[in-house]
Amino acid sequence: MSLKLKKENIDEAVRTIMELGGKGILNCVQCGACSAVCPGVKAGFPVLCRLLIKKLTTGQLEEIIEEPSSWGCQACNRCTEVCPQGVRPQEVVFAFRRYQANEMAISTSTTTSQMNFYETGHAVYTESSKELRKQVGLPEAPPTTVSDAQGLKEIQTLLENSPMGELGFF
Amino acid sequence: MEKFGLFLGCNIPFKAPDIEQSFRQVFPVLGVEPVDIEGATCCPAWGTAPSFDLTSWCAISGRNIALAEEKGMDLMTGCNSCFGVLSEAKHFLEDKERRAGANKLLEKVGREYKGTSDIYHVTHVLHRTIGTDRIRESVKFNLEGMRFATQAGCHQLWPSDVYKVSEENPFFPTMLNELVEATGASAPHYSRAEACCGMGGMRSTDVEKSLKIFKDKLLSIKEETDPDAVVTTCSSCFLQFDQAQKMLRDKGEIDFEIPVLYYTQLLALAMGFDPSQVAAVSTTDRAAVIAEIQNPARQAN
Ligand code: SF4
Ligand code: SF4
Repeated sequence: MSLKLKKENIDEAVRTIMELGGKGILNCVQCGACSAVCPGVKAGFPVLCRLLIKKLTTGQLEEIIEEPSSWGCQACNRCTEVCPQGVRPQEVVFAFRRYQANEMAISTSTTTSQMNFYETGHAVYTESSKELRKQVGLPEAPPTTVSDAQGLKEIQTLLENSPMGELGFF
Repeated sequence: MEKFGLFLGCNIPFKAPDIEQSFRQVFPVLGVEPVDIEGATCCPAWGTAPSFDLTSWCAISGRNIALAEEKGMDLMTGCNSCFGVLSEAKHFLEDKERRAGANKLLEKVGREYKGTSDIYHVTHVLHRTIGTDRIRESVKFNLEGMRFATQAGCHQLWPSDVYKVSEENPFFPTMLNELVEATGASAPHYSRAEACCGMGGMRSTDVEKSLKIFKDKLLSIKEETDPDAVVTTCSSCFLQFDQAQKMLRDKGEIDFEIPVLYYTQLLALAMGFDPSQVAAVSTTDRAAVIAEIQNPARQAN
């Protein structure tokens, strides 16, 4: 019975990660090359690369939902570069992050970026930039969505029609 | 003159607009015209759409790329995150189903991703399109005797298979060093040259962990090269080197500071442009290194 449950858990975890973009997960042979070059692991976020994949391929998707390591991932892709199996571990990390995000197990640091993104078209934006830009001889606003109402409307439409629109950030 | 769509991203236009100004001043002199991409947005940054939904990410990046496609141009960006995100989006958009999904979203805003424009980093345009010889000829101040520690930044290096231009060995990058050397200065190797600076997701998730990684790197630079400045071609690395040094000093963990320049700022200064426009916004004081670069004694004639 418990073995059966375990198999169901494993299948579900792997299917979820693959659907969310971590297509190569089943190629992993747990060699650890990825973790050896990972700055996230070095800094002390342990559940990245090899260990994250291990946990996912043993069906622990739900057990680690609050794990903060994935949010410390730099998306640097050192892991992808060195993986001898073509797993593309960074894609697995981000697939897991998407799973966490959709369950609202998100890092608080993303909330402001999401709101900025919807309101200005930029994740990073500050009003004080207007003064800075003038100071160095540039127009107050760059030619991006901050000075292009049509462009901003387009990006808001895309966000509203994405699953992000349902998460209540905007 | 060769044209590239200038993809600004967020850090550069809002936090370090003197870097944007350095692009606008340096490139035309070197025979490259940066063309504005009106209505461009955030790439979108790793912490936004890519952390939530793959297809929406591809649609948003796809829209930015489509804006360049409509102008018949390739994109050039000075932000490593933008370079990584847009290049990775292109990689995902090669999947037919993914592309169809993204284009279905894009239909709502009257756009279509076709995949006809490539993504280049400012470093690539400087190194491949312009070339170090032309840079060497364009500098007014010869920086011989000066020494710079280089920081290429993660998203310019890995994963090399999705980038239009990549280093021969991304774990031993040389393009930026060669660009620095074209000013006459030296760019010595140091043991943590390809190490991460700790900005990005790590910094926003856990500042202490980020500072730990950063300090390792900074000490390696200080002890092994003791440079006049750190020179980078990543706007995130720029902000980390510029701001995190102060954080470490305030905590009493380091007792020195190293000024930081984005590469095109170094180049703009060496070409004689006005520092109050091209190198005016920083936390770590850059006055001394700027004065040394534009030292009249360094002028050829
Ligand atoms: S390098 Fe690849 S195969 Fe080896 S542990 Fe990491 S993901 Fe698995
Ligand atoms: S992309 Fe993330 S998991 Fe991979 S090496 Fe970089 S920090 Fe580690």
